[in-house]
Amino acid sequence: MSLDVVIRSVLSALFISSVIRISTPIILPALGGLIAISAGVPNMALEGLMVVGAFTGVVVSAFTGNVWLAILCGIAASVLIVWLMAFFHLHLNTDLFIAGLAINLLCSSGTVFLLYTLTGDKGNSASLASLSVPNIHIPIIKDIPFLGTVLSGHNVFTYLALILAILVYIFLYHTRFGTHLRAVGENPEAATSLGINVKRVRMIALLLSAVFASLGGMNLSMAYLQLFQRDMAAGRGWIGIAAVHLGGRTPLGTVLASVLFGFSDAIANQLGSLKIPTQLVQMIPYLTTVGALVVYGIQKKRAAQERMKKYQRENIDQLAEKAVESE
Amino acid sequence: MKNFLKSKGFREVLRILLALLIGLTLGFIITLFVSDDPIAAYKAFLFGPVSRLNRIGDWLEESLTLILLGLAVCIVFSASQWYIGVEGQMVLGALVSGVVVLFVPLPPVWRITLAFIAAMAVAFVWAIIPAILKAYLNANELVTSLMLNTVALKLFEYLLKNFIMPEKARSLSSDMIPDELRLPSFIPNLPIFTEVRELWMKQTSVTAMVYVIIAAVIFAYFLLYKTSFGYELRTVGSNKKFARFGGINVNRTIVLSMTVSGIFAGLAGVHLSLAIYNRVMMGMSFGLGFEGINIAILAGNNPLAVPIAALLYGYLRAGADVMERTSDVSRELVVVIQALVLLLVTAERLLPTIQRRISDQREENNNNNKIKDTKRTLKGDPNES
Repeated sequence: MSLDVVIRSVLSALFISSVIRISTPIILPALGGLIAISAGVPNMALEGLMVVGAFTGVVVSAFTGNVWLAILCGIAASVLIVWLMAFFHLHLNTDLFIAGLAINLLCSSGTVFLLYTLTGDKGNSASLASLSVPNIHIPIIKDIPFLGTVLSGHNVFTYLALILAILVYIFLYHTRFGTHLRAVGENPEAATSLGINVKRVRMIALLLSAVFASLGGMNLSMAYLQLFQRDMAAGRGWIGIAAVHLGGRTPLGTVLASVLFGFSDAIANQLGSLKIPTQLVQMIPYLTTVGALVVYGIQKKRAAQERMKKYQRENIDQLAEKAVESE
Repeated sequence: MKNFLKSKGFREVLRILLALLIGLTLGFIITLFVSDDPIAAYKAFLFGPVSRLNRIGDWLEESLTLILLGLAVCIVFSASQWYIGVEGQMVLGALVSGVVVLFVPLPPVWRITLAFIAAMAVAFVWAIIPAILKAYLNANELVTSLMLNTVALKLFEYLLKNFIMPEKARSLSSDMIPDELRLPSFIPNLPIFTEVRELWMKQTSVTAMVYVIIAAVIFAYFLLYKTSFGYELRTVGSNKKFARFGGINVNRTIVLSMTVSGIFAGLAGVHLSLAIYNRVMMGMSFGLGFEGINIAILAGNNPLAVPIAALLYGYLRAGADVMERTSDVSRELVVVIQALVLLLVTAERLLPTIQRRISDQREENNNNNKIKDTKRTLKGDPNES
């Protein structure tokens, strides 16, 4: 396959559709990370929570045959685990960063342990007959040529992610509790003085972030693939955290940054058909993350310098005016 | 005696022991649920590593790598940099040292020396990327270092597959390092030790690297506690603003904290490829870098406590291996236990009475200071104008 074929396929509707599909499991944990960071408790355990959600979803769906019950259980499992972390952080003063790492360890090895106990296999859950969520074909749109391929036919989680992104925006900026949450993140002392229960707000923020992470995980194991693999999240939780930083801690920015990573991942998939060594191609999304953080850092630094300059200039102007006046 | 019981060190040890006890108990409860013969499985886990000489060797080998990784993490964590790129540095160190020993045409002693230096240098340089990004652009070092870990692993795989692997090899691995280029055993070649030495060499691959590692522990301790660089590092770690006002070049210190940690991580890589596996191969105990974090935290960032913590975790890991081989319980159980211990050890309020009293006192002091500060601001600080 030559390069122009790759370029042509990148411009196709199928490619855009694959970008959306690949971005979903990043958007979901990223939104969770956004909520947690807004409350001043950056959730470092997103990666592990995704894995737990993915695992629980697969196992419950295999044993009950009910996809929706499986999703609920997946959410519950992640929430339970994050509750443990939040309890340790908020009530026993464990450093949040370390607690996050511990939870990641717990989740990634705990799921492998249980997988081995259940199936005798450490790699994946192929021997379990797990289910996947249905794809949704939007009635009228699915028949429009280009748009139909791009927008229709995705799985439930993709649409859920888009709806949730809007809901998160409304929640953070247009509800009373969302405002409290941001206040707690900005300045916990001030929030306390206004009678906001900081611990409670932070606990809820962490629990919410786990809901999002688990949905992201189940997107991987019950839609993207139809089985659970060891360490299935493959860094998506961490990329989600990067997306939050990159998106300037706003819902729209976070979603756009997540799509950027989805895009680079999709490009890497396309390049895989060229004769470039796979390992180098697989680096692309990770290098994109680093590169994007660099660009963001430079921009921020420049903005700060501009502000400084402007301030200094204003000062000089004022001084000059005063000097003129006094003369 | 009373003073000793109240001392900080004793309380720390007590807390760690308590955490371990809780962790191991929970581990046993889990085993009860999943195993057909839980007693035998747990026995293998707890006593397996010392049941045979080669198992003792496995335990020591792994612990030695863990010591180096723990030291590496100690240094960055002392500067409060949440850098977790030790894994990537180790991988590259293993690659480079293996390549030098296999391919550079030099007499053996020089070759091995060059391998050590090259591995340390590469690990040092690799950390420059996240370090500069953090210091000068304030890019989250946790995210960048994690991303670069994956990049390092892919780079390793790529180079191994395309350049290092012999063409006919069936697995992703280089040739074995020839005997004359291997590190000597840690037992000196003296007539009195001949028998012991042979026995150990047959059963284990604990090499002269032991001495390098002992030196590394002492070096790390001196670096952190007896040099001005160490002081700067710890000051930046405890209070960045104070460090800046005190005239410390904070950015430089941050960069150095991550790069210097690379020296130790690079050595860990050397230990993997030159001492344990005697070749460069895929899946060389990767993932150990994260164990380094566990160990540094358990050791309270004190290099002298790192060997103890590393031997402890090495023991748990070796025990888990034995358990997996001899029973129906998978070795991941030990990571679950470790995660629980990590949570419990870092829970500041685990020993409620003592801890609460201290934290209350601290809070009171803080409040007093705050009140003083506020008063000062209200009055208008005379120093300021």
